[in-house]
Amino acid sequence: MLEREYRRVGFYLILPALMGLVLFRLYPIVASFFISFTDWNVFGGGEWVGLENYFEIFSSKEGRLILLNTLLFAVIYVPGIFFIGLALALALNSGFRWAAGMRALYFLPYITSTVAITLTWRWIFSTRFGLLNNLLLEFGVNNPPAWLGDPTWSLYTVVFVAVWRDSGFFMILFLAGLQTVDQQLVDSARVDGANRWEVFRHVTLPLLAPTSFFVILIAMVRSTQTFEITYALTGGGPNQSSTTLAFYIYQNAFIHFDMGYAAALAYVLCMVVGGLTLVHHRLRGKWSYV
Amino acid sequence: MFQRIVIIFSFLFFVVVQSLSAQTLRYMMWDPSQLEIEKATIAKFESANPGVKIEVSAMPPKEYWPRISALAASDDLPDVFAMSSGYIQSWHADGQLRNLKAYADKLDMSKWFSGAMDVARLGNGLYAFPQNWVAPVLFFNKDAFDEAGIKYPDSNWTWNDFLTATIALTKDKNNDGRIDQYGFWAYGRYAHIEPWVFRNGGNLLTSNRTSLAPDFRAIEAMKFLTDLANLHQVAAKPQDMEGIRSKDVFPMGMTAMWVDGSWNIAHLRKAAKGKFRWGISQIPMGPNAKPATAKGYAWADMLAVSPNTKNADVAWKFIMYMTGSGRKAKDFLGGKVPAYRPIAESNAWLERDLQPSNKEVLLEIGSGTTTTSFTPKWSKWRGYAASKSGGMNGELDEVFNGRQSLRQAIDNFVEYGNKVLSK
Repeated sequence: MLEREYRRVGFYLILPALMGLVLFRLYPIVASFFISFTDWNVFGGGEWVGLENYFEIFSSKEGRLILLNTLLFAVIYVPGIFFIGLALALALNSGFRWAAGMRALYFLPYITSTVAITLTWRWIFSTRFGLLNNLLLEFGVNNPPAWLGDPTWSLYTVVFVAVWRDSGFFMILFLAGLQTVDQQLVDSARVDGANRWEVFRHVTLPLLAPTSFFVILIAMVRSTQTFEITYALTGGGPNQSSTTLAFYIYQNAFIHFDMGYAAALAYVLCMVVGGLTLVHHRLRGKWSYV
Repeated sequence: MFQRIVIIFSFLFFVVVQSLSAQTLRYMMWDPSQLEIEKATIAKFESANPGVKIEVSAMPPKEYWPRISALAASDDLPDVFAMSSGYIQSWHADGQLRNLKAYADKLDMSKWFSGAMDVARLGNGLYAFPQNWVAPVLFFNKDAFDEAGIKYPDSNWTWNDFLTATIALTKDKNNDGRIDQYGFWAYGRYAHIEPWVFRNGGNLLTSNRTSLAPDFRAIEAMKFLTDLANLHQVAAKPQDMEGIRSKDVFPMGMTAMWVDGSWNIAHLRKAAKGKFRWGISQIPMGPNAKPATAKGYAWADMLAVSPNTKNADVAWKFIMYMTGSGRKAKDFLGGKVPAYRPIAESNAWLERDLQPSNKEVLLEIGSGTTTTSFTPKWSKWRGYAASKSGGMNGELDEVFNGRQSLRQAIDNFVEYGNKVLSK
């Protein structure tokens, strides 16, 4: 009786949060699923179009380009973040004098306004007036690339800024993971004659497996969500060469008000993230030692 | 005690009656920089119309359109709201605009620029009323022209005159192998391309405006412009100007001429202040146009009324005040031309003591035949705002950058645009 009373009180206490969750999370998720099968443009009632929006994503030249850009972004971003974050964490895990200050410095881009840092990079990468190209000219490089205006470079430039911004955060994750590595195991390995690389390869890295898989998962999800850097750095150009799925959803939803198509894109993104998470989960079970 | 209760209830009754009898009109607009000017005019309207209260709000275009669209979706549109020529067709098609024809039929239409009205004439109705209109013009650096010994552009300029001038104005001032001043600057933007198409008597759309079909005059205009960058090398390529706002290239002195919307006059007065003298001219008429076929490119910023408003008569009265008799010339900053002729033709608006001293160029454009390329879903096929990397804009940029042929670009954007328009 008392237990039922407790349960009822508990339910009433979580009810406001539950209602918020249903109204502002669950309902939009379900509603947008149905919207993705219509041509709704916000104003009037949309007509049912079935799988037409989904077919267009995968059959149109534009849709396939956006999907390819998103995949390419992830393929470069995830390893880039992983290795740079890990390298920074290993370098700053020692107790040398300025380690704490340098950790803060590397973390700074992550907590600074993305628009502010992107606009600064936009100046650095500017073709005529940018710091980078003027340095390259000083070093005798004639006709340095148009980092923002050439499809050959634009996507990689966006990835570079994203990796630069996020490395500090993943460095922190790896630093936390490194604290769980038992120093006695490291010392034992050294006593047995292992050099630094062997200690890292056979002791540290395997013990970092849970952290590594967590980092990869977070990085994969983040790679599909790139928006502010694309918006402020290249605007998705030139000719959509640096447009990824998140930015393309914004364009269709809030510039063209093509909500049906934007909802379909969002669900494709959801399926991509879900698929990557599933693969990650399977591999984690196979490779993680903890 | 009883007396106090009576006094309190009487006061409350008075307040309730007052609030019920006052008509409140909600008004939304997309230009926060104009808000204080609007509030001053609104205050005068309220004084002249006791019992009418206007609640005004303004936000930048990026926030305005999602917000107003959400209000439309929830049947909660403000009574009066700003409407763009680029979106009016979609809004009309979705039944979100009140027909104002019955009110407008009582007006003396000669007092307004008819071209500004045309974009709102849809079907047999009038679905918004113009407040001001804008048009792309040719901005030119007078000091650069004087230095090169070239006469300023005028309404008799041909494309050959323009090309000769751009060649003479393109200079490597310090002989370092890099051009410091281009003769011209353009990319695939609507305000950079369409003026030349229309001044050559060309069309991008079919006569019923349901599909893209650039005619040979339109293609000729696009070829002329892209050749400036690739063949003659007198126009900067878009990729070379990355990292610089496109509206800053001219005031920075990197180009001697530039075509873009007349609203840039307000920006140039600040950005180019003290740097060089500048003026405006009409875009030169194309080789395949005649005076009868060459059209100006102009479009209006308008005020629309919600189809669900309960204050339609007051809303119309408010619109008339805000677009006509209630306005002063100083309410229209720089290159925004009042749709109401008496204000536009006044010396106060012509601002001869400020640059440019020849704003009557805009009045000439407005007095002639004007047209646009706006259709439903225009922003998608044209490549506009945050979508400028796509559509026609994105394809033409690659031609300007020398990475794609014009033929390929036209095929691509026509195919894409017609798919968008057919949906």
